[in-house]
Amino acid sequence: MVELGINLPLLIAYLVTFVILLAILYQFAYKPLMGAMDQRSERIQEGLSAAERAREEAASSQAAIEEQLNEARREGQRLMDQAREASQRFRESEMERARQEAEAFAERARADIQRERDAALEELRAGFGDLAITAAERVIRRSLDRQAHEELITQVLEEGESLRRG
Amino acid sequence: MPSGAAAKRVMLLAGLVMVALLIAGFVVGAIGSQMFGTSRFLDQPAIHLPPQPIFPFSAVKESLGYSDYPSKDKAEAKPTADAEHPPASEASGHESGAEEEHHFTPLPVTQFAITNTLLSAWVASLVIILFFVLGARKKAMVPGRFQSVVESIFEGVLNFASSVLGPDMARKAFPVVATIFFFVLFNAWIALFLVPLYQAVGFGSGGLWDFKLEAHLIRPAGTDVNMPLALALVSFVFVEYWGLRVLGLGYFKKFFAFGNLLRGRPSGLIDVFVGILELISELVRIVSFTFRLFGNMTAGEILVVMITFLVPFVANIFVFGLELLVGLIQAVIFAGLTLVFLSLAVHHEEH
Repeated sequence: MVELGINLPLLIAYLVTFVILLAILYQFAYKPLMGAMDQRSERIQEGLSAAERAREEAASSQAAIEEQLNEARREGQRLMDQAREASQRFRESEMERARQEAEAFAERARADIQRERDAALEELRAGFGDLAITAAERVIRRSLDRQAHEELITQVLEEGESLRRG
Repeated sequence: MPSGAAAKRVMLLAGLVMVALLIAGFVVGAIGSQMFGTSRFLDQPAIHLPPQPIFPFSAVKESLGYSDYPSKDKAEAKPTADAEHPPASEASGHESGAEEEHHFTPLPVTQFAITNTLLSAWVASLVIILFFVLGARKKAMVPGRFQSVVESIFEGVLNFASSVLGPDMARKAFPVVATIFFFVLFNAWIALFLVPLYQAVGFGSGGLWDFKLEAHLIRPAGTDVNMPLALALVSFVFVEYWGLRVLGLGYFKKFFAFGNLLRGRPSGLIDVFVGILELISELVRIVSFTFRLFGNMTAGEILVVMITFLVPFVANIFVFGLELLVGLIQAVIFAGLTLVFLSLAVHHEEH
């Protein structure tokens, strides 16, 4: 035993050294390191789940946006249809009105023309009557030759003309 | 290009210096001095298994067999130490061959003295504490280089423990197992750094020029049988403690398996025999732990010292590489076996 070097106090000294080393390491190294590692893995776990959550959120909001977009598209379509229909109706009614107006206008014009013509005819008739009577009077009064007739007629016509003018 | 050439030149120079030192070492070493008649660079080292006391100085004197300690020595500088520690005067007085080389009497079993191995264990402990406390001090969320080295070592040991014990038990067992691991590892590696001191610093006789080293100031703790024995006892107590704590008194059923015999079954005899074997193997672990580490560390130290004696200076590089590996392996084995025994003790109920 002695030749091997076994020594009881020395053995105890080593045990004490070991225990002190263990205590110091436990207090100042193992505990903080373990805590730091736990904290870090916890943090990483947290980060991962947060990322997962964010991705889910993004997916759901993406769906919501899609939904809203579709809604808006449908709404727009509806409005456009409505507008097109309204404009169509408006155009038709306007065209109808225009046509009626035009027709009324034409009607009125036509009536005016008719009246004017009637009046002109009346006037003309009256004029011609007088003219014819005047011409006949002249013809009868003068000797009848061709030359004279011609001149007479021309004169009458001119008179009629000037008469009409007057 | 110039830097590459310069690096190449430096490498070449270093290689030449190495070869020169190797040849010089061979010439002045033990083999060369026989062949060429040169004077030896080192005295032949003496191998002794027991550690040598370095404090108190009365114990140093006594173990070296001096009644009057030579002057010009460190021991003389503090003669007051004798007053505190009265010389234990039983054994060891009779061997007084001062002419004999490396005369040395080991400490008696019950006498306390601080030995060179204990000093080196303290140095190793301080290095461990510095390393880990500095590494664990800042606790930054994003670790720096040193912190991440410490943490990755820490995590490696923890994963090793988890792979044997499972994560829950590993966390509980971790402090003791890791401390065993680092204590063995750092003691083995620190020893390599301290080898120059081993050959150069210590107590001895003679003057400044013909100084003869007889007690080394520092020596690897693993070469002191008490250190492995202490670790083995720690490991043993630790394993038994957890066995008891997890399985309760049922833990002892493994060793004292009288159950079947008391129920009158003859096969119970086998159980009793197996229980006795278990008990013996449990106790033999202490011895095997102790001598595995002690043997490896002592053999490594002897190898280093002998190579230094045979071919001084640089031939030891290869041995150092080997010893680094041996230190790591011994640390892994010591911690690993503790883990395995622990897992056997804790999970015994299941089969």
